[in-house]
Amino acid sequence: MAMGMAVGELGFPYWNPLRRRFPPDSPFFASGNVERELLAKQVALDFTEDEITNLQTIVETESRRISCPIVGCPERLKSLDNFEDHYKTRHTASCSVCSRVYPTSRLLSIHISEAHDSFFQAKVARGYDMYECLVEGCGLKFKSYKARHRHLIDKHKFPTTFEFFKRTQLSKKRREKLQRQRVPKLKHEEDKEEASSDAMEVEDKASLDGLVSALSTLTTSDTTPSNVSFGRRHGRGLTFVPRSVHREKPTNSSSTPGSKT
Amino acid sequence: MADDGSASNRRDPIKSSVGNVAGQRRRQQAVTVAKERRESLVRAKRLCRVGTNGGDDEDAFVENEMMIDEEQPVLEAQTVKAVEELKSAVQSQGKGVMQKRVTALRELRRLLSKSEFPPIDAALSAGAIPLLVQCLSFGSPDEQLLESAWCLTNIAAGKPEETKALLPALPLLVAHLGEKSSAPVAEQCAWAIGNVAGEGEELRNVLLSQGALPPLARMIFPDKGSTVRTAAWALSNLIKGPESKAAAQLVRVDGIVDAILRHLKKTDEEIATEIAWIVVYLSALSDIATSMLLKGGILQLLVERLATSDSLQLLIPVLRSLGNFVSVDPKAMLTILVGGQNTEENIINVLAKCLRSEHRVLKKEAAWVLSNIAAGSIEHKRMIHSSEAMPLLLRLLSTSPFDIKKEVAYVLGNLCVESAEGGDARPRIIQEHLVSIVSGGCLRGFIDLVRSPDIEAARLGLQFIELVLRGMPNGEGSKLVEGEDGIDAMERFQFHENEELRVMANSLVDKYFGEDYGIDE
Repeated sequence: MAMGMAVGELGFPYWNPLRRRFPPDSPFFASGNVERELLAKQVALDFTEDEITNLQTIVETESRRISCPIVGCPERLKSLDNFEDHYKTRHTASCSVCSRVYPTSRLLSIHISEAHDSFFQAKVARGYDMYECLVEGCGLKFKSYKARHRHLIDKHKFPTTFEFFKRTQLSKKRREKLQRQRVPKLKHEEDKEEASSDAMEVEDKASLDGLVSALSTLTTSDTTPSNVSFGRRHGRGLTFVPRSVHREKPTNSSSTPGSKT
Repeated sequence: MADDGSASNRRDPIKSSVGNVAGQRRRQQAVTVAKERRESLVRAKRLCRVGTNGGDDEDAFVENEMMIDEEQPVLEAQTVKAVEELKSAVQSQGKGVMQKRVTALRELRRLLSKSEFPPIDAALSAGAIPLLVQCLSFGSPDEQLLESAWCLTNIAAGKPEETKALLPALPLLVAHLGEKSSAPVAEQCAWAIGNVAGEGEELRNVLLSQGALPPLARMIFPDKGSTVRTAAWALSNLIKGPESKAAAQLVRVDGIVDAILRHLKKTDEEIATEIAWIVVYLSALSDIATSMLLKGGILQLLVERLATSDSLQLLIPVLRSLGNFVSVDPKAMLTILVGGQNTEENIINVLAKCLRSEHRVLKKEAAWVLSNIAAGSIEHKRMIHSSEAMPLLLRLLSTSPFDIKKEVAYVLGNLCVESAEGGDARPRIIQEHLVSIVSGGCLRGFIDLVRSPDIEAARLGLQFIELVLRGMPNGEGSKLVEGEDGIDAMERFQFHENEELRVMANSLVDKYFGEDYGIDE
């Protein structure tokens, strides 16, 4: 509407000062128009200033409600506070297993599948494309967590630091340590993932046990704060990183599951 | 009724010493309103409670109280009876028939003017309109014309279908606007027409094609009088558009621009208010009118009114007119710069005065005007930046309600950026302004906008954050944004439904808060 299309190498619509013009019946002028009529009738009906303000507020709040911006939601809220409440109750979903909060029920269900569902992991192990793209409407699915992540960055322009990067809380030392750890470990995990998806043809007890043990390591939080928090304050939020990607854990052993936290 | 016959008393409230209790009840009733009632209050139609000829003495105390306490069904029954009376009076012949008609009309008129909820529907169902039309016939005595037009005025002040019922009466009402009509009659007809025009575009078009505009326009040539005020109000309803043809027709009326300028300059606030609304619509809908008015020096007149008046009713249309001129016409912008020292300072100063006002509408629309001035040349931006408006704007960004905040955001952002030349160039940041505005503490306000459910506001917030990240010296921008929870706010968009915002937020996070962020410190 107002800002010109000054688009640079980021693809970002930069701030461009433009004059904004509104037609006389634009909603922009609505409150002034309301005021005009109320003031005019004030004399005839002997309203006081307070009553006018009262009426003005009633009319305004009823006509100027906030429409919830989430596509498909018909709610119209009276105030910003009401909107925040509505958003929290209707558009966030929390996991009953690990209490993480997500902005849509779709994302919640993805989380549950990926983090708490053994059958999901079973299918992954067999090489099915199980990791859904997080962007609604895209529909693509991937064999591995990493592949989906790459897709999000390449296709949907998610920040490259999505989920790998921890801001603010960590000390410089900790960050450096993580960075050093990250690189070799990932490669290790990646190899393992690919190997397992190639190898797995027949389901056998040992590997199922292994999956179960791997599964158990996916749950809940551990002591290391590891991820970017989305939307809802520090600590709680979207962590799509299955623990197995980070930890050095032998996934195929049938030994006792690792510490369940 | 306090009635000394002067024009300004015409709009006096219905006062009486006996009526205080009833008055209080009326007030209570009025405030705890039903939805329909509220809507009628904000509709552009106005009920006529006191006649245009200064009010009837006979109408005084006695009638008032009885009317107010009436139950609606009783009222309706009385209305039906009154219409019957009128019918018989219209049909009868012979001596005293004139008086009979006036008496019957008066009775109906009272029923339609004194009560809280006029029994319009009852009147219509009883067949009032054809009778009232007959009473408008040429050659009828003034009193009859007046009372009939008054009834029609109040019928037209009701619901849309009630207003439409006036269609058969329109040609006669227009005719009685003529210069040979007595002033009270012409005024009452103008009032009725104003109500009809206020109903909607369809009826406006009917009135225009019936030639209502020229006679109405001529009624505003006199210097003063309640007729001028009513006619100006009716005219503003007639030209409000959104189609521009009525505005275009008005500006072609000989001498109208002069009359408008004259009234804006000298006239009392009540008339000036309605004239200002005419200017609002002319400036929004007619380029010719806009340049004629500018040439006639309207900006200075508007500035003076803004500076000297305290009447909210007047300030709203004056401010809006100013806004329209600034948003539409580059010449107006030039006038602001080039006009004498006085004009320059004054425009920004009166806008600052509006920002200081307690009235929400004034603050919001003043900020809008400033945002358009700030979208001008560097000189314009410097003017605002060094004016008394700056601290007000910064404060409003943090404290004001959302709609004002958004306009203020536009001002502040526009001050920091030069307007782009070509479509692809990245507009240059005016670092001096950016630094001073950010150190004035505005970043929090912009980040709040990012969190808002309004897409446009969120977009503004993100765009400003980009300016800060790009334009603050020594790369301070990132720290500042982080310090105000900017990263957190941007992350909200990672799964937002709106793709554009998602991409914007992600690209900022990517570029400025990438993996190396904070590592070397």
